[in-house]
Amino acid sequence: MNTANRLELSRLIHRFGFGPKPGEYAALLATGITTARTTVLTPPAVDAGAQAITPPTLTDLGDYPPQKSAALVDFQKARQDQILQTQLWWLDRMASADHGLQERMTWFWHGHWATALGKVQYALPMYNQNQLLRTTALGNFKDQARAMIVDSAMLFWLDGNSNTDKSPNENLAREFMELFTLGVGSYTENDVQTVAKALTGYRTVRSAGTVSFNPKQHYSQPITFLGTTGVFDAPAISDYITSLPANAQYIPHRMWYRFISSTSPLLDQSVYDAFANRDIHFLVTALASSNAMSNPLHSQVKAPVDWFVSVCRALQVTPSTLPINSNVIRYLVAMGQEPMNPPNVGGWPADEAWINISSAQTRLAFSQYILQKARFDSITAVAADDHRIDALADLLGVAQWSERTKSVLRTALNDPKQMVLIAINSPDYVVNA
Amino acid sequence: MGVSGAGAIATQLSIADIVHAGQTRPLPSGTPILVVVTLYGGNDGLNTVIPHTDPIYKASRPGIYVPDSQLIPLDSELALNGTMTGFKTLWDAGDLAIVRGVGYPTPDLSHFTSMAIWQSASPDESQRTGWIGRWLDTQSHDPMQAIGLGSVLPPLLVGENEVGSVLPLGGLVIPSGTTSYDLHKLGSKDPSDGPLQAAAATAINDLLGLSKNLTPILKMPAPQPDNLPTQAGGSFGSDSSLSQQLDIVAKLIAAQAPTKVWAVSLGGFDTHADEVKGQSTLLGTVSSAITRFIGQMHGSNRQNDVIVLVHSEFGRRVAANGTQGTDHGTAGPVFVIGNGVDGGKFYGEEPSLSKLVDGNLAVTTDFRDIYATLIEDVLKVPAEQVIPGWKTKLPLLLV
Repeated sequence: MNTANRLELSRLIHRFGFGPKPGEYAALLATGITTARTTVLTPPAVDAGAQAITPPTLTDLGDYPPQKSAALVDFQKARQDQILQTQLWWLDRMASADHGLQERMTWFWHGHWATALGKVQYALPMYNQNQLLRTTALGNFKDQARAMIVDSAMLFWLDGNSNTDKSPNENLAREFMELFTLGVGSYTENDVQTVAKALTGYRTVRSAGTVSFNPKQHYSQPITFLGTTGVFDAPAISDYITSLPANAQYIPHRMWYRFISSTSPLLDQSVYDAFANRDIHFLVTALASSNAMSNPLHSQVKAPVDWFVSVCRALQVTPSTLPINSNVIRYLVAMGQEPMNPPNVGGWPADEAWINISSAQTRLAFSQYILQKARFDSITAVAADDHRIDALADLLGVAQWSERTKSVLRTALNDPKQMVLIAINSPDYVVNA
Repeated sequence: MGVSGAGAIATQLSIADIVHAGQTRPLPSGTPILVVVTLYGGNDGLNTVIPHTDPIYKASRPGIYVPDSQLIPLDSELALNGTMTGFKTLWDAGDLAIVRGVGYPTPDLSHFTSMAIWQSASPDESQRTGWIGRWLDTQSHDPMQAIGLGSVLPPLLVGENEVGSVLPLGGLVIPSGTTSYDLHKLGSKDPSDGPLQAAAATAINDLLGLSKNLTPILKMPAPQPDNLPTQAGGSFGSDSSLSQQLDIVAKLIAAQAPTKVWAVSLGGFDTHADEVKGQSTLLGTVSSAITRFIGQMHGSNRQNDVIVLVHSEFGRRVAANGTQGTDHGTAGPVFVIGNGVDGGKFYGEEPSLSKLVDGNLAVTTDFRDIYATLIEDVLKVPAEQVIPGWKTKLPLLLV
């Protein structure tokens, strides 16, 4: 077995997907790394596994009823129920999709355009944004940005909703340039204020997730920013900003940070070049084909959602079918990563931020909860000796067990559940080597 | 956060380790302890320490100025937000100092850049290490010297060679039986481990190293504040995560933990919209949680040792933004609190509301003056070792 290929495949399947389903890792390995890479990077036209997941039933719940009213109790119950349904729907999709790339990229973009339920409050606009990120996940970044700048949840999240000609609010303008498209240092404070003017006039009804444009509240005079002058509305602003050279640098840099390394810089020019036309799929392909994929330095810690979903995929667990399924979200909150509720507009941290005794403890308790529904057939089918340990590596997509972990796994050869518990809490699994 | 994800990996430790260390090598009475409280999001300083008699204040902020009925005057010009009754008590006792107009040259209005500057104490160039981390670098290795509360290591605790530790908020449950036995061995390091795998192993080891005396300590009531009357508005902070964090800190200080720096935080200060109620509630939380904590220090006989620093990454724009909020700004007030503080007075000049820079307050005090004071007078290391080239301090402490 080629160790280098095992490592590269383990990275491909975890970072450009959410880890293997049973049998997938060994099957891909057998095709050779080049074919495996193409397979991992090519989503099917229709993903039956993802399609089988029923979308949440979401309705416009309207405004909050008055404080202390009887209606408020029912409203809150319905609102929280829609949120839970939506979060579990997405986790179910991640865990069930036959091919991992589409959901992985949707997850990446969610962290990039980090929008949080904590402020948005309603599931419907978050769901709509999620679908938008999914349909544009591998398309052209300009299309994604143009849609996101007038997305209902985004407009509410960054106060674009209340940004009017007479009373501008800079929040969306600043973060759009700083965090979403250009990076800090690529614009001036004057640009922030000017762009904020041009982003005026967009209103959202967040409970319905609808967006309208009111020309009377829009600043329609010519503006000068980032080296250009003209009359702009929000999509035109987005188109101009995403055409700038800084955007061609910034997105590859962010993607490198999340997919390859949070500590070393992206130096590979071919990766930047792949994004010249803002084609996301080209960029992803360039990253996945980069030499960095086999560089042993670029280990990554699995963030809580990565870890949870990869465990579910390998052990055939559908998150929403776990007992008292709201506990899935509680555990993820305890680990610091609730889907659709990032801590701030900068998204979640990476790597060592996820390693501490608190997360180690929660991961252990979470494991015991998940394993109630796990299926172990693909390891019980193998003799209870070192072959079973190897089979577990393939099942979980681990390139190689350390001697430490092997020695602990050997103590549980006849107890598949315990073996899996050990494996998914081991440093060899918590860290994607 | 520019400095998070620096190459160093947190040395992980368990509360049991801290408690054990408190028993075997208790922090000697009289050793100063610094508690850093970070307010994330950019706290609106003008609605915290309020220039209530300056007509420009109300004129600039229709709809979001704090009305006269809701403020606590400190002198003829400045007042505290009315939710901050606890801070007023500390001010009157001479235990709370307010440093005005704090910031740094050429303010950056990005949350992430500005917080990275505050945490690294390096406005001029991007710096991977945090200011407490660099203080740790001057100390002998001890993972208990600086501890951050929460699930993520704050960048200020990252040094070049030494790194602070993190502690979770809730009580830890000790895994039992076979699970505990097997997992304990997962916590040993393997020669093939990279730094991340090694850190993951250490975290498991420390989790499983929890001893029997841990749970009782976490479950015991926090030390009672014994010197302060119950505060009006005190219930504000009782359920906040800031109170929870400070309760754990108070318990571990009472357990004689050999820890000299604690880092806690509270988020939610990015008040672009509907600021009045949200920020006032948060300020009430900050005031009551810290006042209670100071009271607990009296109860633990550490009242002379503890100094609390409260800061945010920037203040906010002077003018309201028309959505009942304020956009990102520059200078803001910093609080320094403790028995050893020469308090009940202001330091630094109040920025003028009539001499704004691009609509923002001019910075009158460099935050490195405050850090340098704390580094030398609390942490007992020459400031220049932590902030190269920085010499100026403020007479904040009764030395």
